[in-house]
Amino acid sequence: MVLRKIIESRGDFMILELKNIHKSFSDVQVLHGVSFSITSGKALGFLGRNGAGKTTTIRILMGLFDANQGEILLNGQRFNPREHSIGYLPEERGLYPKQKVLEQLTYFGQLRGLNNKQAKENGLYWLERLGILDYKDKRLETLSKGNQQKVQIAETLLCNPDIVILDEPFSGLDPVNSQILKDIINELIKKGCLVIFSSHQMSYVEEFCQEIALIDKGNIVLTGDLKSIKKEYGMNRITLNSTNQSVHELKNILSTGVKDVKIIDTKNKGVIIELLNGKSKNRLLHDLLDLNIDIENFSIYEPSLTDIFVQKVGDN
Amino acid sequence: MRNFFLVLKFELLNLIKKKAFLISTAIICLIIIVGLTIPIIADSFGSPIFNKDENQVAEADKVSYGVLIEEDSIELSDLETLLPHINIITTDSKKELSDLTRNEDVVAGFIIKAPTKYDYLVKNTSSYDNNTYEMDSALLTLYRNKTLTEKGIDVSIVNEVYNVSVEHDVEVLGKDSMQNYLYTYILIFALYFIVIMYGQLIATSIASEKSNRSMEILVTSTSTESLIFGKVIAGALAGIIQFGIILLVANISYRINASAWDNSLDFIFDIPLNVLLTFSVFGILGYLFYLFAFGAIGALVSRTEDISASATPITIIFIIAFFISMFSMNAPDSLLLKVASFIPLSSFMAMFIRVSMGNVSTIHVIISLALLALSTGLIGILGAKIYKLGTLMYGNPVKLKTAIKLLREK
Repeated sequence: MVLRKIIESRGDFMILELKNIHKSFSDVQVLHGVSFSITSGKALGFLGRNGAGKTTTIRILMGLFDANQGEILLNGQRFNPREHSIGYLPEERGLYPKQKVLEQLTYFGQLRGLNNKQAKENGLYWLERLGILDYKDKRLETLSKGNQQKVQIAETLLCNPDIVILDEPFSGLDPVNSQILKDIINELIKKGCLVIFSSHQMSYVEEFCQEIALIDKGNIVLTGDLKSIKKEYGMNRITLNSTNQSVHELKNILSTGVKDVKIIDTKNKGVIIELLNGKSKNRLLHDLLDLNIDIENFSIYEPSLTDIFVQKVGDN
Repeated sequence: MRNFFLVLKFELLNLIKKKAFLISTAIICLIIIVGLTIPIIADSFGSPIFNKDENQVAEADKVSYGVLIEEDSIELSDLETLLPHINIITTDSKKELSDLTRNEDVVAGFIIKAPTKYDYLVKNTSSYDNNTYEMDSALLTLYRNKTLTEKGIDVSIVNEVYNVSVEHDVEVLGKDSMQNYLYTYILIFALYFIVIMYGQLIATSIASEKSNRSMEILVTSTSTESLIFGKVIAGALAGIIQFGIILLVANISYRINASAWDNSLDFIFDIPLNVLLTFSVFGILGYLFYLFAFGAIGALVSRTEDISASATPITIIFIIAFFISMFSMNAPDSLLLKVASFIPLSSFMAMFIRVSMGNVSTIHVIISLALLALSTGLIGILGAKIYKLGTLMYGNPVKLKTAIKLLREK
């Protein structure tokens, strides 16, 4: 079969906005005014600890639950998921274990509005693209976990979606298959799809997502451009390593001998210092030299996404 | 609507392609074919079940009685005339008669002591023994004939007077319950099995979609209404197809073998059109009613092994409705059956019995049908709502009461 281009370039710019979404189940309020937005051609990293409200938010977005309050808008209009082609890869994987791979892909494709021929063609395309075409007539349960995951990805992308929601898409994939999926996600972003990416593997999020929304106990605690967030979190913060002082010694010296600084964290045998009351980097450097600290590293602190995540939603 | 038909087609094909469906249908059909061919098989082995002439008993088939007539109490020739289907062997002594009986050369021995008195010798007694009845009738006839002749009365006149039979014709103005009983019984039983079997099947199918998490994909691909209605109606159609095939095979097998059966089963197969129509309409609606209920139960559990426990209440209700209907078949115009024929939980069986075997006015049938159709529609809508609610609720089975409470809150 000749590979055909299924991912077509999107002409229209889209902005999807969730505004003040509230949701309760019985007496338990799960979402307390969730708001964030995402534009086409970008990927949003939707992050949060287990049970923070990610799946509930996604299910409201997919129209499976009604929000008690708030609205979802696409380009300023009320968003109806039934009117759009959405590819959803849920965290809870599942297809029909006893059905043949292509048969069920065709069925799901048809349910999403494709005709029988298109559904079959698209199914074959994605099976070939993901390197599992040989399994098209096999029952799903006979495939390995990784290959089942690939069938699930094929199912997600089957209907040439405008909006793609990926919940832990890399789980179960080996490095080679992860690379194949990375290429596909990059392709989707480049073609103008609106991608919502949820994962606990922060390295993937940093790789794909220009924007993030961090949810904690049903509240969005952080949202915006990832680079700006990192910059903001690094502002007035310095990473310091010493050749002749241990972390413990550094912490003691800094807390007793240096004014207008606060030790934020320790990392890689060094400390992260926040400058207070307008103290400059040069002033701090002078202070450190006066204290005879042999500086190995003195640099502007750039937090990783994991640092930001732990800092915002960690137990402390 | 398009997706409803897609789900229907997908589910129906899955059901009828299942080995369980194919094998069970084939086995039932085979049993029916063999069962209805028994008379032909029996004929070919020379033991016809029907059309055999009772008077023509082959010489080899005759049973033998040993007889010892004491003191010339009766004439042997008279006895032989009255028992033409029995081979009579005379003996001269009780010992000889006992030996014959013990060696099973004769089935029974009779020592005739007087015209109305004999001793009966038998090796083993059996509850099916009618030898004494045969001898009693023969001796009684001999005694009566002899006595009447002695008194100068013509035996033939007496026989004529005593053996005259009163002729009567039966004209059934209502329903012939005797004739209708069997096919009503068979159809009600079929309905019972089909509801239980396909109800469980649908509940299992829905619960397994939750346990294998394909539900996540399904509910984001199409509406829950398309899913539940498609599934339930596919299950209903599979049952109807299976039942239809079985009925067709039974009908064809019987038509082919009807003459061998001496048309004795015509009353089962010649079901009146109105009865068939009532069975079809009420049966299908009632069947759907229960399938929707089982479908909703499937959506409230997360594991297939929880189904039997969660489905117990509805199964019990159905079994009670079934027993009320079955036990009321002997009294099709009873108050209990009348009440049951208006309650949708039981009306599809009860009203069918009333139409088939009792007296029921058309208006009652229409009211019952309207109630059943309305209830089936309502339970379909409720089932769809419970399905939507339950599809993404995992963990312990959700109680129906809780589900309804959650629906109200919504």
